[in-house]
Amino acid sequence: MHWLTTALILLPVGGALAIWILPLQPFAVGSTALLVALAEVGLWIDSVARFDFSKPGLQLDQRTSWFSDLHVSYHVGLYGFSLWLVGMTVVVMAAAIAYAFWAGRDRPRAYYGLMLLLTGALVGVFAAQDLLLFYVFWEAMLIPLYVLVGVWGGAGRLRATLVFVIYTMAGSLLMLASIIVLGISQGTFDLVGSGTNGSDWIFLGFVAAFAVKAPLFPLHAWLPEAYRESSPEVAAVLSGVVSKAAAYGFLRIAISKFPGPTSDFRIPILVLAGCGLIYGSLLAFRAPDVRGVIAYSSLAQLGLITFGLFAVNDLGLNGAVLQMVNHGLISATLFLLAGGIERRAATGELARLGGMARGRPALATVLMTTGIIALAVPGSTAFAGEFAILAGVFRTGWAWAVVGGIAIVLAAMYMLRLISAVLHVSPGPAVSDAALDLRPAELGFLVPLVACLLVLSAWPAAITDRSFGSSPSSAISGVLR
Amino acid sequence: MIAAAWICLFAPLGAAIAITLLGQRLTRRGAGYLATTSVGMSFVAALVSFAGLLGDSPSQRYHPSTLWRWLTAGPYDFGMRITVDPLSVFMMLVVAGVGFLIVWYSIGYMDGDDEERRYFAYMALFVFSMLLLVQSGNLLLLLAGWGLVGLSSYLLIGFWHERPSAIAAAKKAFVMNAVGDATMALALFLLIQRTGSLDFEKVFPQAPAFGGWAANLIALGLLGGAVAKSAQLPLQTWLPDAMEGPTPVSALIHAATMVTAGVYLIVRTHTLFEAAPRVEELAAGLGAATLLLAGLIALVQTDIKRVIAYSTMSQIGYMFLGAGLGAYANGMFHLMTHAFFKALLFMAAGIVIHALAGEQDMRRMGGLRQFLPRTYWAFMVGALALAGVPPFAGFFSKDSILAAALAHGWYGQLLWVVGMVGTFLTGLYTFRMLFMAFWGEPSAFVREHFHALNRDVVGVSLAVPVGVLTVLAALGGWLQFADVWTPVSNWLEPVAPALVEASGLQEAASSAIAVVLGITGIGVAWWIYGARRAEAPRSLPLLEHKFYFDELYDALFYRPTVFLANALLKWVERPLVFGSVRELAGAIRELGLETRSIQTGLVRTYALAIAASVAVATLVFVVVR
Amino acid sequence: MNGPDVVWYLCVAAFLFCTGALGVLIRRSPLIVLLSLEIMLNGSNLALIAFARHHGREDGQIFALAVMAVAASEVVVGLGLIVAMARRRLDLDVDKLRTLRG
Repeated sequence: MHWLTTALILLPVGGALAIWILPLQPFAVGSTALLVALAEVGLWIDSVARFDFSKPGLQLDQRTSWFSDLHVSYHVGLYGFSLWLVGMTVVVMAAAIAYAFWAGRDRPRAYYGLMLLLTGALVGVFAAQDLLLFYVFWEAMLIPLYVLVGVWGGAGRLRATLVFVIYTMAGSLLMLASIIVLGISQGTFDLVGSGTNGSDWIFLGFVAAFAVKAPLFPLHAWLPEAYRESSPEVAAVLSGVVSKAAAYGFLRIAISKFPGPTSDFRIPILVLAGCGLIYGSLLAFRAPDVRGVIAYSSLAQLGLITFGLFAVNDLGLNGAVLQMVNHGLISATLFLLAGGIERRAATGELARLGGMARGRPALATVLMTTGIIALAVPGSTAFAGEFAILAGVFRTGWAWAVVGGIAIVLAAMYMLRLISAVLHVSPGPAVSDAALDLRPAELGFLVPLVACLLVLSAWPAAITDRSFGSSPSSAISGVLR
Repeated sequence: MIAAAWICLFAPLGAAIAITLLGQRLTRRGAGYLATTSVGMSFVAALVSFAGLLGDSPSQRYHPSTLWRWLTAGPYDFGMRITVDPLSVFMMLVVAGVGFLIVWYSIGYMDGDDEERRYFAYMALFVFSMLLLVQSGNLLLLLAGWGLVGLSSYLLIGFWHERPSAIAAAKKAFVMNAVGDATMALALFLLIQRTGSLDFEKVFPQAPAFGGWAANLIALGLLGGAVAKSAQLPLQTWLPDAMEGPTPVSALIHAATMVTAGVYLIVRTHTLFEAAPRVEELAAGLGAATLLLAGLIALVQTDIKRVIAYSTMSQIGYMFLGAGLGAYANGMFHLMTHAFFKALLFMAAGIVIHALAGEQDMRRMGGLRQFLPRTYWAFMVGALALAGVPPFAGFFSKDSILAAALAHGWYGQLLWVVGMVGTFLTGLYTFRMLFMAFWGEPSAFVREHFHALNRDVVGVSLAVPVGVLTVLAALGGWLQFADVWTPVSNWLEPVAPALVEASGLQEAASSAIAVVLGITGIGVAWWIYGARRAEAPRSLPLLEHKFYFDELYDALFYRPTVFLANALLKWVERPLVFGSVRELAGAIRELGLETRSIQTGLVRTYALAIAASVAVATLVFVVVR
Repeated sequence: MNGPDVVWYLCVAAFLFCTGALGVLIRRSPLIVLLSLEIMLNGSNLALIAFARHHGREDGQIFALAVMAVAASEVVVGLGLIVAMARRRLDLDVDKLRTLRG
């Protein structure tokens, strides 16, 4: 059954090829893409059923040699935490494709093909266990995104795409240099069981790429425009999944393989993450539009996740993995809601919105629920993740937890501002009675996301108990090396 | 018994989910019945648990139960865990009992509102959250309940979401509570680091072993949360604004249950506080300061609900005073009696407001005694209980706290004096309110706008809960009487043994003085407002502006945050986002321009370049060879 | 074989080469530049043949023949360009012909 992981990668790619080759009607193109995405979710559920969560090692793996003289192989497989990240990916992509299907996109064949290709590349990033293969999937992620943002985006899409691509490429090139040096020096490009390396420069090359993609303050210059100008579902994927690929990279490569440099650079990285956390929260508090709030809150949350990762202890790592899944679902839901609001009001500016709760109970309920989970109200899954992260980072130094505490208050402030600016008081200039409540189709892709969040709120241990086998710190110093 | 406790917890949640999912398919009245029935089920289940505990011997009354693992990380395991012990059952009975009465009352009060279903879903959610808070068996779940209670409060304060003032009040309440959540979380992090767990039975026995500063920080963090939730100094400014919500909400959340959560927390974690005696004394001091402050501000309020709100703040100050000095059972007893008479006062005020079509300004009221006789008597009972006049409930509970303060040494005696001043103020402001609203000639406004309540379901749902609470407010105090008859203290002894017991003489002296002061306050109120024999003194701007706390916090926290955010946007984000890419593009363009100058277009330059390069190459070749 | 030492041939070849190079670099008329280019090529041809004679092998001579063929082709192209320039009444001045600048 070890072809399962490859199937997870190739099913969407096959779907993309089918869409590009077969002469289908536009409606059929969209529904085919949606069916493939849902089949992918089904395949993932099958993987969960076959996965043994008590063992920390790599499972569902497959390895064939690729460049034997360089010791590069096609090696894919999943750990507990990567299984959950893959799950979050396929669910978010299915919701995004459903949104696009409902909203209608021109040039559907190109569009859906690219979305499916992106799905395959993202799953590949989480599953790749060979450095060169990882790089291939990393870059393969970028190509569909470049086209998706550049063609189907908003008015300022060209500039946004350009900045996005330039920043990402700069980081990726540094990572490529690191990969090559690492691969040559340790004799193999495989990630499993190849031991650790103590070189600071190689570590920094990797960190550069991941820090740009996450993003980590101050390399986030591409973020506001990319999130504002892309279409809502692409923004959902960017914010929800692509940023987690960077966080995953931190975990799987930077921290596991470079324990020495990690502890050397831990304080500077925590400082940057903390700055991003506070900075993102403050800017989200003053952002003038819906997308701006979600974008900057994304920056803050990735800072929080980085906090947890670089605490490198049980609580921090488990909290970070849980928060990765949480934030993926939360920001996807928020961006899709933002898209729905923008369609109804023709604008995302908070000053022109307001009063949308009257007569629109479904919209109010979904936005309120998601917003409240997003601000990590105690009792929610985001709180569980945040609590674990801050408890973990507290052991590194109490000041970090205090920073986290300040962020808790700021998160309440900006999220409540967003909710009230959209839903409460009197209807804004852009809101008319013609703007209807959420349609059943929209509920179809929003409710599963919210339902996942609610289930996780009742049972965060579903993920934290099943990410690293018995304990994260033993996994980091054991099977992940 | 354990199963009953779980049912008690989850019944209201089930109702909330059902109301949300059924949406329009459930009638508005049906939603009310569903919510009320679920809370009633909780109360019955709480009684079953209580009966079960009675069957155990006192030292065995502790039954934790974990349903599933909630959050895990390596060796850390935080489960979905409740505990059935005297303190939690006590709170369950109060919350579910008073909650049941208030939700039933809401059916009549909220009748006709467009969004009744949403209201009842939120109320059920609140009861679930509060029960989670008091039933939880570890501190993480307690914090979860803590936050959910704050959430429900936000949802209910902002229920009429088209009013900007309601939304602003809701946000303010939530953010201040979030500050408390943050400090509590920090305390919990420290606890995890010290003990590796957050379960009560693992954490509390280890408390005496914490070092000085660790114990102080933990207690301080917990106190921060308690102060925020219970609207004590310095985080008290949200409670008066919370009166924007419907009156039953004020009764349930902002009088009987949520705001008393802080007291519950101190009593539950009393070993942690006892390990940090300075912080415990700080808690008592804050309670004393708050009761004085709130009492003074209540004197100048014109909105009937705000008077009761400040009164709540003040009474919780008494509870903090008691808990901070180690008189845990006395504090909890006052919590219970306060729930009765404060809910009663709010609900009676609600009937008045309903009858006057939403008017809350007492200056426009007067002479309602003739129009609403039964409500007047209910209000009177509540007011007497609040003022601490025997034999009504407040007398027994409040005085036991003050007596215990006397027994605590010089600090306790200082706080006793403050408490006594507070008693005078309580009598004064409470009866000011009663006389202004009910006595005298009916005002013109009342004559025009009064409309009687009918006798149908609405009338019944408004009248019966008020009636029940009137009885409880009158007789509830008989549950504990000084040193002579102490079932409450005995019940809570295994969980929260009192640190200080007052002697018989202290009890008697304190009670006597308190009653005299209370009646004096009533007398002064009658002199000025009842019999109109004297003019009310002019109110101070200091009191009218609530001691300028709102302005202080605005200047100290809100404005700097906004300023900082705007500054970051202008000086960091704009240059970073626009500048960095522009700089990069500019640098590359410069480089291109420099390189471009090599392409002169002159053949001779190219020829020279070739010649020179060849010459250099030859030289190098020769030299290297 | 009698005659002067190979060094003298090389000197003449060097002299021819330098003269030609100088002409390419200094003169402004394209015709003269082409002429100088031819002188350079002749100089190198001479060097090739001298070395061929010196080593007693004929490789150099064959190479010289190849150079002559290339020189002829390139002169054809060059003169064609100059005729085209003259036809268009362009100034036959290498310094003035700089449209291909960056």
